[in-house]
Amino acid sequence: MKKGLLLLVFLIIVGCAKDEDFIQIDPVQEVPESLEIFDLIGIKLESAIVHDRVAMNVKLETSGYYRVKIRHGLNNELISQERIEAKEGDNILKVYVSSLDKSGYLIQLTDDDHNLLGAESFVVQ
Amino acid sequence: MKKFLTFLVSVLLTLSTYGQDPSEINYSPVNDVSKVGDTLIMKFQYFKKDGNSLTLGQFDFEYNNKLLSYISHESQAPTGASFARNNWTGYKFNPKSNTDEDDMDVQYNWWRNEAGNSSYSTSSDWSVERITVQSSSAYPSDGEFVKYKFKIKDKFGSNYSDYNNIIKVNWANYQESDGTQIQTIKNPSSQSLSGIQGGNAGAVTINLFSKLLDNNVSDGTDYSYVIKNGAGETVSSGDFDASAQASVSGLENDVQYNISVSISDLPEYLGEVVTVSDLALVFAEAIGAGSGPSGNSTTFDYYIQDIIADIVGGDDGVNFQDSYEILAYLQGVTTGNTNYITKAGTVHEYSGIKETYGAYSNNSVTFANTFTAIDSDQSSKTINVAHGLRGDVNFSHSYEPSVSSGEKSTSSQATSQSFRVSMAPGAKYNETETANLDLVSEIVDGKVHFSINSQVEDMIGSQFNIEYNTNVLTLENVIFDTGNEMTNFSNIIEEGKVRVGSFDQNFTQVVKTGTPYKLVFTPNEEIQNTSGLITFRVKEGVKADGTQIKFNIQ
Repeated sequence: MKKGLLLLVFLIIVGCAKDEDFIQIDPVQEVPESLEIFDLIGIKLESAIVHDRVAMNVKLETSGYYRVKIRHGLNNELISQERIEAKEGDNILKVYVSSLDKSGYLIQLTDDDHNLLGAESFVVQ
Repeated sequence: MKKFLTFLVSVLLTLSTYGQDPSEINYSPVNDVSKVGDTLIMKFQYFKKDGNSLTLGQFDFEYNNKLLSYISHESQAPTGASFARNNWTGYKFNPKSNTDEDDMDVQYNWWRNEAGNSSYSTSSDWSVERITVQSSSAYPSDGEFVKYKFKIKDKFGSNYSDYNNIIKVNWANYQESDGTQIQTIKNPSSQSLSGIQGGNAGAVTINLFSKLLDNNVSDGTDYSYVIKNGAGETVSSGDFDASAQASVSGLENDVQYNISVSISDLPEYLGEVVTVSDLALVFAEAIGAGSGPSGNSTTFDYYIQDIIADIVGGDDGVNFQDSYEILAYLQGVTTGNTNYITKAGTVHEYSGIKETYGAYSNNSVTFANTFTAIDSDQSSKTINVAHGLRGDVNFSHSYEPSVSSGEKSTSSQATSQSFRVSMAPGAKYNETETANLDLVSEIVDGKVHFSINSQVEDMIGSQFNIEYNTNVLTLENVIFDTGNEMTNFSNIIEEGKVRVGSFDQNFTQVVKTGTPYKLVFTPNEEIQNTSGLITFRVKEGVKADGTQIKFNIQ
């Protein structure tokens, strides 16, 4: 009986205790070695010579809205632009190139106000 | 006294002997020659002086075998006379130094008695001919020894710049029947030819001009040329190199050729040639002028615009039929009319010599395309060719004429309607402005939104040619928010290419600022982002006064 009362008291105490917040941890995103960026911010493609599509890492200090721009490698003319909502750290994304002419290009990472954060060149073959 | 008289007679005889005019060996062309390939006929003849009786005539001459090619010879010796010809190729005569080269008996004696093996030296450019004629009776004065036929060769590649001194008599041996040497001179000293035309023109350089090249839309490799002769036969054809040049060989000097240049292989950018800016120009001309080349009022700067804007044809000038045809083309509407709009898969083009391209004379626009290479004028071997496309009224992909006669008069422009009121009379119409624009794609609720965000005011027309990856995206909708009275258009040019824009044909309504155009796509696969899936090519606007706006995408 005494044991039963102790168990009941314990359950009541536990039941009245304040709930702890659950800490949700993002699943760890595997960053392939070819996409590793050692700086805090940057953009990197898996390959500089690209067919069809290529993996891209966008690494950020803070989450928020950013832009990925593709410019022509000769005249720097902007030919494609996307706005992404990205998280802090590595963001493994893709660049689709099958609608680009075979040529050289520059891919840029900017913040939402067009301030340049990183760039890399690539070639579509 | 007797001795004195004998001395006097002796002196007189001596003076008489030395005072005789020498005989001559003459050589001259029989026929007129004017161009490479002609046959030159040369005669060599005796010219008697002061009573000498020639029975042996022998002479030696040389000709430049790089400029003349021996064909044949024909003895002109009288019946009963003996004739002989010898020849050696690759030799040249060395005249006796410090003597008159025209003195033929002196040179003969030099060769025969003094020079030894120094009289001739090897020279691959020269050939030596020797003629011997012996007669039992005195040779008639002016009697010919021989006629030679030579073919005139092209001096191209010969290392000779002209046809001077190509035949020279080296020496002559004129003798009387008793062996007495007859004093002889030659006439002329050497034989030259002038005014020889034709021949290989060597390398002729063709330079191509178009704004399409200036703006790096493409390089010269998309163009090809054809050169024809007067008979219409193709003598040369080929492609331009990346720098828009072609080096042509096989043409002849002094021959008139015509050249045409065309775009080959129908490149992708043909679909970007005719845009809303061209449409505005054509509409304005139809509204304000309604004039053809002979009209009194116009919004155009050049007469050639009357031709390239007349896309329906019929030579009836530029009118609403042309403007509506272009509008229909931009809207993707098939009218059923035949038109000459340059577009994807179809090219209508002009070419001509750059310096006269689009000239205007006798109420017509001309595209002169003939040229003639002249050997003495190196500049004639560089041919500048201009190229243009029909429908490209603002010359975005064409050569803008530079010939003064091709420009419309300031007075005719000044009388035009309000389309040009903000511009100085005579000012060129194709001035452009730039404006910032934001074209961006993003994923919204599982769809891909491509937004064209504009803060540009005063646009009465705009156009965007957009390409997208059809493997990943399907175009679901185009949302217009341009204002209530604009004529909007969106049409799929071909798979993965869509043309979106607006135009107010009254030139009064303007495209609303904000997000006038939004394209909504459905992904065909799971995607996390859209980089590279949507690209933009043509992106331009036009103001009410016709000024083209080029957008600067940040």
